[in-house]
Amino acid sequence: MKESLLDIICCPIDKHDLELEVDEKDGDEIISGTLTCPECGETYPIEDGIPNLLPPDMRDEVTA
Amino acid sequence: MTENSKERLAERRGQETQVYQPAEDSALLAKAVCKAVRQSDRVHEIGTGSGWVAAQIAAETGASVTASDINPHACRAAADRGVQSIRADMFGPFVDNAFDAVLFNPPYLPTDPDEEWDDWMEHALSGGPDGRRLVVPFLTGLSRVLSASGSGYLLISSLTGYEAVESIAAENGLTVESIHEQSFPFETLFVLKLTRYS
Repeated sequence: MKESLLDIICCPIDKHDLELEVDEKDGDEIISGTLTCPECGETYPIEDGIPNLLPPDMRDEVTA
Repeated sequence: MTENSKERLAERRGQETQVYQPAEDSALLAKAVCKAVRQSDRVHEIGTGSGWVAAQIAAETGASVTASDINPHACRAAADRGVQSIRADMFGPFVDNAFDAVLFNPPYLPTDPDEEWDDWMEHALSGGPDGRRLVVPFLTGLSRVLSASGSGYLLISSLTGYEAVESIAAENGLTVESIHEQSFPFETLFVLKLTRYS
């Protein structure tokens, strides 16, 4: 994902802005990292360029 | 769903069991939305599946297009088509007024609860008992993420219940206009344009 994505995404729980921590970058593309909600403290992983913004209780449940 | 009809569906969808692949409905939605979108628009596709529709719109309009899906395989497929994808449950992680256009090709087929099966393809095809399992949360949450002049684009089938969808939209402050329709032997598909009452 690109950093500009932060303009349209938020914490799915409380709609607060997210803070970005980058682990791996390729040009301006963020490959892996963590999005943190400073309001509720929840963290959301970015893996392979795709942020996983499912609420934590859905991450495990929603698998086939 | 009986074993037999499940097999037929799998056959119809090319044996794919993880990600819904582009079909007639996808082409219809892409065509209608391409005509409506401007290059400066921020466009988002909910439940993008293979990412084909989102990629078509990006290529044809030059607009900034993002896509989301609850299914991780779909997110991967869309990313592989060059579309920024986000794993999300409906509008959960999107800010207010984020988009000028939001499109959705939902699972719109009514499905008997006894005939449900349990994989990602079921999630992509089954609209629940009335065909509106995900249509309702879409219509309920749409206004919040649309910009002031933004529009939603929703594909439904006559089997989903046009008038029921229209009345749920009205309850959520949205006007409905059918901008494209096509008849098939057992159903008619509609692309609905949804705008806020002004």
